[in-house]
Amino acid sequence: MTYYVFTLVFFLFDYFILAMGLNIQYGAAGILNFAYIGFVAIGAYFTGVASLPANTLGQQYILGLGLPFPLNTLIGGLAAMLLSVAVALITLRRLRTDYLAIVLISMSLVLYDFCNNFVSMFNGADGLYNVPEPFAKTLGLSVNSFIPFFACVAGVVALIMWFVMSRVTRAPLGRTFRAVRDDHVVAAALGKDVFRMQLKSMMIGSFYAGIGGGLLIQFGGSFNPTAWLPGETFVVFAVLIVGGAGNNIGMFVGALLVETLLIHLPAFLPEIPGHPGLIEYFDLAVVGIVLMLMLWFRPQGMVPESVRRAASFGASERPDGEADDLELGTPAAPARVAFESGDPQ
Amino acid sequence: MSLFWLSVGFGLVTASVLTIAAIGLSLQFGITNYVNFAYGDFMALGAFFTYVLNNQLLHLNIWIALTLGSLAMGVFAVTVNHFLLAPFARRFPTTHYVLIVTFGLSLIMLNVIYSIWGADVRFYAVPITVAMHIGPLLLTKNQLIVMGIAAALMLGVHTMLRTTRLGKSMRAMSDNTALAMTSGIDTRLITTITWFLSGAMAGLAGTVLAIDEGNLTPASGELFLFVIFAAVILGGIGSIYGAMAGAILIGLATEISAAFINPAYKLDVAFVALIVALLIRPSGLIARPGTT
Repeated sequence: MTYYVFTLVFFLFDYFILAMGLNIQYGAAGILNFAYIGFVAIGAYFTGVASLPANTLGQQYILGLGLPFPLNTLIGGLAAMLLSVAVALITLRRLRTDYLAIVLISMSLVLYDFCNNFVSMFNGADGLYNVPEPFAKTLGLSVNSFIPFFACVAGVVALIMWFVMSRVTRAPLGRTFRAVRDDHVVAAALGKDVFRMQLKSMMIGSFYAGIGGGLLIQFGGSFNPTAWLPGETFVVFAVLIVGGAGNNIGMFVGALLVETLLIHLPAFLPEIPGHPGLIEYFDLAVVGIVLMLMLWFRPQGMVPESVRRAASFGASERPDGEADDLELGTPAAPARVAFESGDPQ
Repeated sequence: MSLFWLSVGFGLVTASVLTIAAIGLSLQFGITNYVNFAYGDFMALGAFFTYVLNNQLLHLNIWIALTLGSLAMGVFAVTVNHFLLAPFARRFPTTHYVLIVTFGLSLIMLNVIYSIWGADVRFYAVPITVAMHIGPLLLTKNQLIVMGIAAALMLGVHTMLRTTRLGKSMRAMSDNTALAMTSGIDTRLITTITWFLSGAMAGLAGTVLAIDEGNLTPASGELFLFVIFAAVILGGIGSIYGAMAGAILIGLATEISAAFINPAYKLDVAFVALIVALLIRPSGLIARPGTT
């Protein structure tokens, strides 16, 4: 029983991290990253090959560094970040939002196909397995005590990452992200480098994706291509939309509602005899339906983005002489339903 | 050399399938100005409609089942647009939301298809035909029919766009919806007709894809969707003629490359073509105004 509870707790924290990463890309900077799960996968794989020893019987992979816990996960995060730089350099400057989404989703499919076929990199379709469980040897943890322990580790990591992210969102950088999202023409006119802002948000978000992926592979000890079909990106989007795009606390609520209640709790239901996998299929369809209902009836999410009032140009309205950065395009209406990201139509 | 010509034959068949799919996707994109990420699942569902008519219910001939299945898919697409996509597109001024909705629709459709038909690999009852030599190419009768369908469709769409009132209205809407509306074009009707055509072509493409590959699984449309995207972006998104050109290029490139490198990487060839196209000519071979 504790095993189940702590599995749920782990996935809650892990998806909290993943959703925060997607939130800085989509919620803050307005990049519709449909390849998000690809970055998670790269993070997971690189964490795996960084922690596995140089040679393992029956598995083929690159690196094999045998590094201990925080280092291997960091390598996973950095690998995802590097990939995002490459992707951003090719696509961000050239494409408007929906073409970017097409290229990104294509990229995630090709990455999937490539990892499946190119066996010597990440062991192909079998994926990596027997990835060392962090601290399990040093602390003498059994299979049963490892799960609650690692759920707590994930909780600590999530807390640190939430703290950092809430600083980033409040900092001038976060404000500039929102300015770019709301109207990149205005942001550019005010001297903000739109491409660099989008690149930065891609990098930060992908780092979060990589860390989340790294925790995922260490929790389960294995990771293979079926774990990151493009549909998985949608689950993270569901967490984000249900929680409330643009709000970090909302990500936690979203992770709780979508990931824990909708995705993982039904997995404990008994199988319907004669219909293997039916519950899982049905469950994912329900996630899609919930997301659409949410978008229609409450597009701002469970915890809406807080209304940030900008200091006005007129000095008389400033409460004190504090020179606040000019904040752009934050509408006064609480339910901001549209991201103006410069589509020509 | 024979291997080369063999792969050219395969390339032409793949290009035919791709052309049908790419025209359907482009037509709808040009009118509604957002991408339908569920298109791959439209294809899969169409293929399963045909499967039901061909193998489960009426045991119709595959080509009759294909026609009926595609028409059913067209009706399905109109329904989806009317009750789901059009309301979202009207309510939210930017495309983000409707893109997420089509992405979600793809997840729903895929899992509903899985729930109904399961993950098993299925086969159509297709009469087995002997391959024959046409010039240096080696093709079966079924493959020739698939190519014939694609050619007829290209010609038909071209004639429709250039000569009929419907086609002209579609081009007008694709250029500027607001202007088309003020000129007295019934934009809702045109949108509905476009969705019907797009859905029917998705169903057609899904079925001929399954005939071409020799089997049918719920996820086959999903992976193929990316190849369609590559073709459509290479050709210039929203441009019908660009889609045709891109489809033929990508179809030939993926299959011919399979003669020289490991066939498992033929998707990656399409992706490399996509990236090169983006780097050199991001607006595509045949650019449509306002795409970058």
